[in-house]
Amino acid sequence: MAVDVVDATLFASVDPVALRGSVCAACGAHVFPALESCPMCAGVDVADVALPTQGTVWSWTTQHFEPKAPFRTDGFAPFSIGYVDLGPVIVEGWLVGKTDWSIGEHVSLVLAKAWTDGDTVVHTFGFEVTA
Amino acid sequence: MSNEIYIVGAARTAFGRYDGEDNELAEQAIRGALADCGVAWTDVDFAVGGTNGETKPDNLVSRLGLTGLPFVTVKNGCATGGVALMTARNGLIAEGSDIACVVGYDNHARGAFNASPARYGIGEWYGATGMMVTTSYFALKIQRYLHEYGIDPITLGYASEKAFDYATAHPYAWRRKPVSVAEAMDADMINDPLTRFMFCSPDAGAVSLVLARGSRAFDLCETPIRLAAVELRGRRPGSFEVFSPWLSPGDRTSPSVDASAAAFAAAGIAPADVQVAQLQDTESGAEIIHLGETGLVAHGEQQAGYVNGDFRIDGRIPVNTDGGLLANGEPVGASGLRQVHEIVRQLQGRAEGKQVPGRPRIGLTHVYGAPGISACTVLMAEGA
Repeated sequence: MAVDVVDATLFASVDPVALRGSVCAACGAHVFPALESCPMCAGVDVADVALPTQGTVWSWTTQHFEPKAPFRTDGFAPFSIGYVDLGPVIVEGWLVGKTDWSIGEHVSLVLAKAWTDGDTVVHTFGFEVTA
Repeated sequence: MSNEIYIVGAARTAFGRYDGEDNELAEQAIRGALADCGVAWTDVDFAVGGTNGETKPDNLVSRLGLTGLPFVTVKNGCATGGVALMTARNGLIAEGSDIACVVGYDNHARGAFNASPARYGIGEWYGATGMMVTTSYFALKIQRYLHEYGIDPITLGYASEKAFDYATAHPYAWRRKPVSVAEAMDADMINDPLTRFMFCSPDAGAVSLVLARGSRAFDLCETPIRLAAVELRGRRPGSFEVFSPWLSPGDRTSPSVDASAAAFAAAGIAPADVQVAQLQDTESGAEIIHLGETGLVAHGEQQAGYVNGDFRIDGRIPVNTDGGLLANGEPVGASGLRQVHEIVRQLQGRAEGKQVPGRPRIGLTHVYGAPGISACTVLMAEGA
């Protein structure tokens, strides 16, 4: 069964899940989502790259109020977001499975249910505590 | 001809909710600033207006008089006030003219700002998944900062308590009820570690300044305040800005670091020379971070500073003496000029709220906003 995602261009692959970033040939900077130029050195020779899927929590917060549109949800409950240090780049995303976190926790990339659209379950990327 | 520029007139409206037209607010502030220095609108050579709303500042001439003057509009988010002031300074010097009027105003709807991903060049997924939220950005930034410098979260409560304490004495502030450290810490959590009493809210207000070249300033005003520096900087690699799906690893910096350093250099002073300061305190954490980024306090020493009372009216360096954004709210276009207004009044010795004792002579203002810009001014009383 195909998995629906919020934006297919975010992913290098969905199964197994990996994020699609880009890397600059000139300075080696990694960015996410992929860009066609490098904001770090202003270079234009960049290529797609699958980002590491393991990292550590760099910062976190829990969203205690329901964001305004265009936020979509089947039913709001407080949820956590954070920045995860993947090594070459720090990526912002959902932190799933709990709402109280510590900086430095080891986490792994997962697909997380974002909302349902008719019969379709739409997923985004998130990070959960590494088993 | 001297290129020294002075602030000779200043006025602000009360901040808070406003039911009237945006342009009425702006007009009140402009007429107040002109009256403050006895200048007529017909004497103004150059004008700059900033707002984040839908009205056109340059159309204020239809209320004030069709004098044919050049009127520049700026729109730079939370840094709009600083950019407007810089534009006016530059305009006076470039045009070789004598008198400029600056106005900043806004009249926002209730609740957190609602940003559109497309306006920031980000995919729709970012908003749809609930990450296009300014409050979470501030929370993520201060969470990391507290961790990096070993600062206890109770410091956030101290910052809130100080802001509302100043505001109790300020007739133009919006939220003038005192809030204790415990109340700030125990209030509803909005975004960990920030509670309801640690955020400013969008509201309404207007501020206007009249600038004059040195040759005219002392005719127009008993205590003109010299605009010793106004510097604007954008982000470089390593800054941590709102609506960032990714950050670069490694050393962090900020446009606030660059803008404040440039302002101190242009004014020929060091951070330790500053006697009164206004820092962007969109939330309590921002004040803590900006104390460090401007060099007023070493990173990690903010907690001791609050506990010692260093930032209170009789402390080493009083900060946000009108209650800051926390107590005034943030009409985006007006906020940066509110900071300048407060420092001007402190240096003139006629603060509307608590007056810093001993007549301070050197002040700093600092605005910071999306998508990673900061403007700082150094203001000096004559003889400084």
